[in-house]
Amino acid sequence: MARKASPARLVIALAVAAILAVFLLYTSIAGGGNPSISPSELAGRSGTVQLAGLVLGPVRGDAHADGLRFGLRDIDGEANTTVPVLYTGSVPDLFRAGRHIVVDGELRNGTFVADPGSMITKCPSKYSPSRNSGKD
Amino acid sequence: MPELGHAALLVTFGLTAYALVAGVAAARLGRRRLAASARNALVGAFGSTLVASAVLLAALLRNDFSFTYVARTTSEALPTAYTISAFWGGQEGSLLLWLLVLTGFGAAAVLLNRRWARDLIVWVVPVFAAVAVFFSFLLVAVASPFATQQAPPDGAGMTPSLQNPYMLAHPPLLYLGYVGLTVPFAFAMAALLSGRLDERWLIATRRWTLLAWAALGIGQLLGAHWAYVEVGWGGYYAWDPVENAALMPWLAATAFLHSVMIQEKRGMLRVWNLLLVLLAFSLALFGTFLTRSGVVNSIHSFTQSSIGPWFLAFIAVTVFVSLALVFRRLPELRSPTKLESPISREAAFLYNNLLLLALCLTILWGVVYPLLSEAVRGEAVVLGRSYYDFFLRIFGLPLLLLMGIGPLIAWRRASLSSLLTTFRLPTIVALAAGAVLLALGAGSSVPGLVAYTFSAFVATTIAMEFVRGTRARKALGAASWPSAFGSLISRNRRRYGGYVVHAAIVLLAVGVAGSSAFDSVKDARLERGESMTVAGYTLTYRSLEERQVSNATEIRALLEVRRGDRELGTLKAGKNAYTIEDQLSNEVGIRSDLLTGEDLFVIAEQIGADGVVDFRVFVKPLVNLIWIAGAVFLLGSAITLWPDAREQRRLVARTQEIGLPATR
Repeated sequence: MARKASPARLVIALAVAAILAVFLLYTSIAGGGNPSISPSELAGRSGTVQLAGLVLGPVRGDAHADGLRFGLRDIDGEANTTVPVLYTGSVPDLFRAGRHIVVDGELRNGTFVADPGSMITKCPSKYSPSRNSGKD
Repeated sequence: MPELGHAALLVTFGLTAYALVAGVAAARLGRRRLAASARNALVGAFGSTLVASAVLLAALLRNDFSFTYVARTTSEALPTAYTISAFWGGQEGSLLLWLLVLTGFGAAAVLLNRRWARDLIVWVVPVFAAVAVFFSFLLVAVASPFATQQAPPDGAGMTPSLQNPYMLAHPPLLYLGYVGLTVPFAFAMAALLSGRLDERWLIATRRWTLLAWAALGIGQLLGAHWAYVEVGWGGYYAWDPVENAALMPWLAATAFLHSVMIQEKRGMLRVWNLLLVLLAFSLALFGTFLTRSGVVNSIHSFTQSSIGPWFLAFIAVTVFVSLALVFRRLPELRSPTKLESPISREAAFLYNNLLLLALCLTILWGVVYPLLSEAVRGEAVVLGRSYYDFFLRIFGLPLLLLMGIGPLIAWRRASLSSLLTTFRLPTIVALAAGAVLLALGAGSSVPGLVAYTFSAFVATTIAMEFVRGTRARKALGAASWPSAFGSLISRNRRRYGGYVVHAAIVLLAVGVAGSSAFDSVKDARLERGESMTVAGYTLTYRSLEERQVSNATEIRALLEVRRGDRELGTLKAGKNAYTIEDQLSNEVGIRSDLLTGEDLFVIAEQIGADGVVDFRVFVKPLVNLIWIAGAVFLLGSAITLWPDAREQRRLVARTQEIGLPATR
């Protein structure tokens, strides 16, 4: 005998989906994820953040020894704050003064200490090396 | 010349606008000749777009720097092959490629299906035309590839990492995939608009969806391989927004390809399928938008541009109109059958769909989260790798297991005892494999171990299916085992092609698990003559060489590789310094072990003036299975895509069953 098919099962399936959705919301808000900020917003912050900015020379030091040192400034900036950065680990090929980069890390005693190997470079435009991204 | 290109685009815009207006009028008023005229306009639009594309290609090949686009993307020294790839290297060119593929697909889909789906086609034409109007409008008014300027002496050139054979195939394949998803979308909308809601729109577009989906899949794997060998950070996928942009529609299309079978066999999930097609298409548009708008921080940051708002508006209109159409037809979309049991093939496919969708939406959430948190909290929060990895495991591993269960479970209702019989062997094999791997030390990563075990389970079910089917064909009188095997596949390409694709996914899962959960990495600063050891390999840095080639200076560190007592030859890793572009690029050294599929992956991170080199060395077990999976995936897709006369006959029979309006 064919039992009367119940739509309850679909409801169950959808409920599962809903639970997963809530779970998702919860985990993504509660855990994981770093605020992405620009150098001018860094002052006085604690905890790990993602810092996106424009590299200012001079670039000194050795990323594979005691660390690479450079400054980071807002990309589109009225703000003139420059944050000193200390970085170790892999340096992407595109890194140099005048480029946009993103690094994770935290502010310690006025220096932004980046997590090793966290640097990502952003070419201002991948396909057209912009003419005004001169080296500072 | 630029005038010709611009004029051709104007013609395309005019033709598609006409196809849209005339198509709608013809469909509503039932005018057959007007409908034919609209259809011809769509085909003609393909012709004029072809002319525009030829103009751009010619300009690229002639290095005509009076075209702003050409000057921005190429240079005199750029090899011809990469000059061609500059066609899709910039925004305007890639939009033109979108339009070209779109009108081409539109013309082909309309012409191929015009006989047996005429009632749908009258609406397919205006839907296609509407999408094409949007793209041709962008090309004419917002981002013209035919803008001109005072020709500079040389072009700006192409970023070195894009000067790579992969860039000849990877972007166009992704575009084929994105644009190909327009075909099922247009047919779905046509079914809604015309009220002919039978299964023909699904059947008509199955191959198109498969083609688009296969192209997206292969395109992404090529991109991953490119990242692996060329970008050289030691990985192949970084959960970057632009990578995710291609993965999301692929996942939605995968869900669609599975749920389609449920509708074809049992008439269920009709609304669901429409929504999946809409989702896949919107995600394809969203993917193009993400790639081009620069709204999210991505390592692939392309030219930030003015087309972003247009795209968002178009996506919003698409979603709104489509949902309204679905809603209007909702009463007619009720399925005649219901899910009978939570343990049945239908249910397994439904779980598969929910998981795929959950994974897809999780990724979407991660991609837009920075924007949402910026809007809500005033601060952009970026979700990192751990977020994606977590959900890939949560949703991906059950999905992997379901891939073994779904195809073998009975339709309608399966009994537990039959399940035990069916899955006894795969379960035993999986548990045995798990135990052996655990003994070998794979317990260091639980998700990795689970992935291996599940893969063993699925692989066994696939093997069983092939063995059982081949035996049955032999029993039915096939002359030999190979011929029994051949006829098995050729008689049911869809099913066995599907199994081959599943086998590819198993290979992919094993490759990803092996290379990400069980890899080793080590950094060392070496002087000439010094050695380092990683995961059983000993590398000795011997010498540094420098070579001048046409557009770059190549610097290479030479390493001797040993494993235990065995000499494994030498490996080179270094950097290229590109002259015109004034850029460095990592050139990694990779030694693949053909037997074990393991890679030794060497990056020369930093080369000092005194010849001291900072190396970063990875050992990635089983990583080569990922690339082999690509070949198997291609094979499986080709099997399912191959024309099938018997299927075509069934289709015609079905059309007659439904009965088309005699003539209009």
